[in-house]
Amino acid sequence: MSAAVVVRTTGLGHAAGVASAICGRGMRRIRARPTLIMPVLLMPLIFVVSFTGAFGSLTRVEGYGTDNIFNWMAVYAALQGAVFAGVGGASATAEDLENGFFDRLLLTPGSRVPILVGTVAYSALRSMIPTTGVLLVSILGGLSLSGGPLALLTVYVATAGMAAVFCLVGLTVVYRFRTMRSMILIQVFGFSSMFLSTGQVPIHFMNGWLHAVARVNPITNVLRFARQGFLGDLTWSLTWPGLVALGGMTLVSGLFALRQLKRLAA
Amino acid sequence: MSTGTITGLRLAGVQTLALARRSVVSEWRQLGNVMPGIVFPLLLAAVYTHQFERVILLPGFPVVDSFLDFVLPASLLQSVSFGATEAGTELARDIENGFFDRLRASPCARLPLLLGRLGGAMVVATAKGALIVAIFLAFGTEIAGGPAAILVIVAAAVLLVLAIGGLGQVLAILTGNQEAVNATFPLVFTSIFMSSAFFPTTLMSGWFRQVAEANPVTWIIDPIRRLILEGWSWSDVGQALGVPLAISVVTVTMAVVALDRRLGAS
Repeated sequence: MSAAVVVRTTGLGHAAGVASAICGRGMRRIRARPTLIMPVLLMPLIFVVSFTGAFGSLTRVEGYGTDNIFNWMAVYAALQGAVFAGVGGASATAEDLENGFFDRLLLTPGSRVPILVGTVAYSALRSMIPTTGVLLVSILGGLSLSGGPLALLTVYVATAGMAAVFCLVGLTVVYRFRTMRSMILIQVFGFSSMFLSTGQVPIHFMNGWLHAVARVNPITNVLRFARQGFLGDLTWSLTWPGLVALGGMTLVSGLFALRQLKRLAA
Repeated sequence: MSTGTITGLRLAGVQTLALARRSVVSEWRQLGNVMPGIVFPLLLAAVYTHQFERVILLPGFPVVDSFLDFVLPASLLQSVSFGATEAGTELARDIENGFFDRLRASPCARLPLLLGRLGGAMVVATAKGALIVAIFLAFGTEIAGGPAAILVIVAAAVLLVLAIGGLGQVLAILTGNQEAVNATFPLVFTSIFMSSAFFPTTLMSGWFRQVAEANPVTWIIDPIRRLILEGWSWSDVGQALGVPLAISVVTVTMAVVALDRRLGAS
């Protein structure tokens, strides 16, 4: 009589297991190759130091909103770091596609959604490293927490959300083109989207087409949400638009990524 | 000069040209890699022009009609520096894939191995520089120094590429690794941000101002900016060309010494 081992490949428990295994694999990869995280950590640190140093006198322009440049730029640098972290998560998948690991993953039974969720979770977790680095440097530079500890929470929520969104955007491209080189498109897109928002100055400082673009750019709402605790008290009127923007971007990019993944697996 | 020496020099010239042509063709075939170096600095210039219009009214800011005039040197140097390490990366790639050893086994002189790739990078930088200046002129930038100043500005940018390219080649020869050469890009990127590229040093403060003032990029950008905003001055021409030329002499000499040592050791 032969013994058969039946493994359930459906259900929430199995899906959570697969997602957590993929996320854990990514985190173990960082521990095994710490150099992978260096650019993700260094670039936002360079940004926070450069932007606060070079643009410090912006606070002397009337209406800037704060007299401490770190209160404005820290969140921007942290979100840029989150974008890099998200794209980095998609790059890990590009590497798996190039070396054949992803094809082996697709041969396994079960839904494809946990593969996506695991990669996104890895990116969101990874984003905590640059966010913490930026906040530590900014605190040394004089960042004030007028909104209390909740101010830090909003930054972590915003950066994790942005990492998830840009991971999904990156995955959409990676599943389509299957190469690491395609990631440069997403790097440029992510970087540009951040610049076309209220990253460095308030919206009333902008004019012309930039004002129009920044006003409809959902990242502007995310920045307002994440930055509010450094400029004053937290308010619901600045919180919900940020959460809606993050939710909306995650949903749209998630649907695109899932569509490409299904095409890839077909 | 003996006939043998003349023939040798002519041969070295032909070899240099052949390797330079190979570099240019390689860049032409991968235009996707060149485009971010053009698009990103232009986007940054467009964004900064529309968000820093109030900043130009700050006391201590140079007299300009628009931030666009102020940011031209930054965009130019940023654009050419994007591909500046390519001469080093190519050399590292050739070392990795064995092409360098095949060249060494051929009756090819030593200097063309370095100068050919640097020449290619300079040709690409000239094209990029001319394009960036042309776009700025099309959007209304006026160069007070006239057409001769335009030539000086582009030449200064090309010399900077020679300086960075030389450094990239030193790393390529020492490590034989593309990743190590690419790691210099954040260094170049940071040197531009930590200079007077996007803001005058007179409006900076503290240690950042000291770093920016001691940064050789500032020594190149400031005279270029004066040629654009104030007009022709021989001392500015001397500084704009002299600083990158002096750095180039150092880095290219280091590359030649490193090559001699590598060939001598093997």
